[in-house]
Amino acid sequence: MDCGGLWLRGSGGTLLQQDLPAPCASLPPEVDDFSWEPPTEAETKVLQARRERQDRISRLMGDYLLRGYRMLGETCADCGTILLQDKQRKIYCVACQELDSDVDKDNPALNAQAALSQAREHQLASASEPPLSSRPAPQPPVPRPEHCEGAAAGLKAVQGPPPPAVLPNADVVACTQEALLQKLTWASAELGSSTSLETSIQLCSLIRACAEALRSLQQLQH
Amino acid sequence: MAAAGSVTVALHVAEVLETIVSGCLGPEGRQVLCTKPTGEVLLSRDGGCLLKALHLEHPVARVMVACVSSHLRKTGDGAKTFIIFLCHLLRGLREITDKEKDSFLFENIQTCGRHWKNCCRWKFISQAFLTFQTQILDYVMDHYLSRHFLSIFSSCTKERTLCRSSLEMLLGAYFCGRVGRNNHSLMSQLMCDYVFKCTACESRFEEVLELVDDCFVELKVGVTGLPVSDSRIIAGLVLQRDFSVYCPADGDIRIVIVTETIQPLFSISGSEFPLNSEAQFQTSQFWITERTKAIVKHLQNQNVKLLLSTVKQPDLVIYCAGLNGISVVECLSSEELSLIQRVIGLAPFVLPEASSQYELSHTALAKFCKPLILRSKRFVHLGLMSTCSFAPHCIALCAPVQGLVEQHENALHGAFKMLRQAFKDLDLNCVTQTSDQSCTSGPCIYKNSRESNELPKIVNSSIQRSYQDTVVKNKGELAKTQTNLKVCSNLIVPSVKLEQNVLCSTPKVAVTDSYQTDETLRCSSPNKGRIMDDHEPFIESNSANSKPENTRREISYENLQVAKLARKDSILPLRYKSLETCTSQSYYSSSIPAGCVLPVGGNFEILLHYYLLNYAKKCQQSEQTMVSRIIANAILGVPKILYKSKKGNYSFPQVYVRALQALQTNQPMISNQTGLESVAGKYQLLTSVLQCLTNILTVDLVISIKRQPQEVYDQDSEEEL
Repeated sequence: MDCGGLWLRGSGGTLLQQDLPAPCASLPPEVDDFSWEPPTEAETKVLQARRERQDRISRLMGDYLLRGYRMLGETCADCGTILLQDKQRKIYCVACQELDSDVDKDNPALNAQAALSQAREHQLASASEPPLSSRPAPQPPVPRPEHCEGAAAGLKAVQGPPPPAVLPNADVVACTQEALLQKLTWASAELGSSTSLETSIQLCSLIRACAEALRSLQQLQH
Repeated sequence: MAAAGSVTVALHVAEVLETIVSGCLGPEGRQVLCTKPTGEVLLSRDGGCLLKALHLEHPVARVMVACVSSHLRKTGDGAKTFIIFLCHLLRGLREITDKEKDSFLFENIQTCGRHWKNCCRWKFISQAFLTFQTQILDYVMDHYLSRHFLSIFSSCTKERTLCRSSLEMLLGAYFCGRVGRNNHSLMSQLMCDYVFKCTACESRFEEVLELVDDCFVELKVGVTGLPVSDSRIIAGLVLQRDFSVYCPADGDIRIVIVTETIQPLFSISGSEFPLNSEAQFQTSQFWITERTKAIVKHLQNQNVKLLLSTVKQPDLVIYCAGLNGISVVECLSSEELSLIQRVIGLAPFVLPEASSQYELSHTALAKFCKPLILRSKRFVHLGLMSTCSFAPHCIALCAPVQGLVEQHENALHGAFKMLRQAFKDLDLNCVTQTSDQSCTSGPCIYKNSRESNELPKIVNSSIQRSYQDTVVKNKGELAKTQTNLKVCSNLIVPSVKLEQNVLCSTPKVAVTDSYQTDETLRCSSPNKGRIMDDHEPFIESNSANSKPENTRREISYENLQVAKLARKDSILPLRYKSLETCTSQSYYSSSIPAGCVLPVGGNFEILLHYYLLNYAKKCQQSEQTMVSRIIANAILGVPKILYKSKKGNYSFPQVYVRALQALQTNQPMISNQTGLESVAGKYQLLTSVLQCLTNILTVDLVISIKRQPQEVYDQDSEEEL
């Protein structure tokens, strides 16, 4: 099956006798049992973030068009968004110049580094599962606790060592506490000024993670 | 990968346009303020105006706006719904194909091979959409949705009489989404009054609407500086110019139309008049003056009181006419002239060559002729005695500013187009798969469907269901429809005749823009042969028969006129196989009678969604199932936006669940909104969007050029030929 198989996989045209959930068939049909699984929660979050970003871009572009900007036929080399041109013939990319100066650089959907850090959390979470089962916050998949590398490093420092139970160096603990407090202050300031739901959720989880980390640090000290 | 990229790019563009138009959709929508590139500000809720005012250089965006414009030219409604539906369709397509993307990485190593496969895939998908439009949509509309339709005609007798309250509801719903909230009831009342006043004979609405739609610019007068409530209907015809000379007259007035100057000229173009002496010049001038006076005198003797001229008459003619009590209007435009001719059937008066023959057969009578002053502008007000079904009336639209006048004018014009579409019968081409045991001839199938369409009683009793009655009439009208639809039975007919049947059946409704369908044809022609071969697995194929059918298919391809007929040809081979297999297909034509409406609020969308999903469950062919599902899910996007602001019991999920329950238990669907929308308009919208989608999907490559290519005329080659 060549071109015909592009749309249909494998089973030769008789696959569609399955029952769909009655009113709304927004889920696409299971084509093959092994080729499609429902997205994990992390992927859902990523998809949602991507969709929200795309919506924001579309809305901004629509506003600019209504203000008399011109929609060009080219796309931006960096992000692939359609370019606009204003009356002074200046080319303008909505995503690069307006959105990405925001928190989105830490969005794993866009930034490879942020995705890497998320992957590292996955690893850590699976590696240190037994001792951390009581601590939901540092589990990375559900929220995205880190907001930047510093917090990730701090959490790793906390998550890593518990089994050996070595008394940590007091300086290291102090530095970590310092860094965590800094992060807390910064995150609470950002939370006050943030307007996006996704960003607020991320900030709250960061604050919670920092607080948990501080508590565990204090436990270590005593 | 240009083809895959084109869907993503098209989706981005469509999303941007959707954010602009979704804010002004529906009765809860708001006005949108748009700054045009020229600096003017436009405040409007009209989707077509907004889209045209945007400065778009992106090729896909321009294609979309061109499709919307051509759709609006025909139907007058649905620009915003068009964009929203298109956006949802593109989104659904991208979701489906995103999942399939991974398969390509493993299937084909060469890049160009993969690109070609992608192009083929999109063409395959667009063919599937066209098949849906030509076969499944009509079938679903006819079989399932038709039992829910209501009619704005109340036919207690054989004649269809238009029910005024239903017309008000239809127009009210239309204007709700078009003009500001404080004005829509006034506009719908005004238009209702106008329609009823203009139609002399009750059953000739279609002709009247056609005339008004064609000549709308001449039938409306815009007046600025007055409140909107001062808008009114003026009996008679108002010409947008003033009298050159006005002589009041009583009683019936005779009118004459001239298209040239009455005063003879010294010489006409292309000829010479040699003057040898002063005396000759004086004599010639004297002759001219006398002749002019004689003609005007003769006109006066015939009781002509009004001279309508399309050209500027010389001062002498005006002076003589004034002396003889004849009013003169000059410089009529060709559109005004054609309107007058359509209304009173008057041909222009030809000046006789010889001075003795004066035959005045080309005159008409008018009831009055006087100047009209509207807000310090003077117009000519004529009371024409109509010879056709149109009783001439004009609408004077008042508004504080010019922008609002234009907004109302556009809305009214669109409303007339919408009504014109609603009052036409909608021809459907239905293809059904039936087994041989139950095969009946075409008209029998039609009759059976009529008997099963018992319409339920609904809450609003002022709307009468006359679908059954009009169906009786339509069977007779079917024979007379302009399109050459033939009711084909299940019998096996020889191949040549079958091809002709297929080729003749060009439903005029589905061809919204011949330019678009030609493009689709061109775009898909290189792949036609290939795609047809790919359908072998989906059609029960008998390998022994495949070879002769291939040649037949190619022959029939050369005769193709419309792209969507390609799908019908693929079914032709099945006819031959019906001897061996048990399934066969029957073509029959059906129509939705004029005046079919549904309550507003997403009823059409929910019904279509429900029945399409049911159909998809029963469907054998996989690509049609996929297409049906995509369309069924996409079409719900429109009511979701309409109900966005509602909460609680009136939110969209509640409405949806209630509607579904009613459908599943065969109960009538209760709508809590007053207002009707035309089924023909919705159907047209669907087909237009599907056409636009196939246009976009079949774009393989976009080449940008700095300026339009110049036409090069090669005269040598023409001579050789």
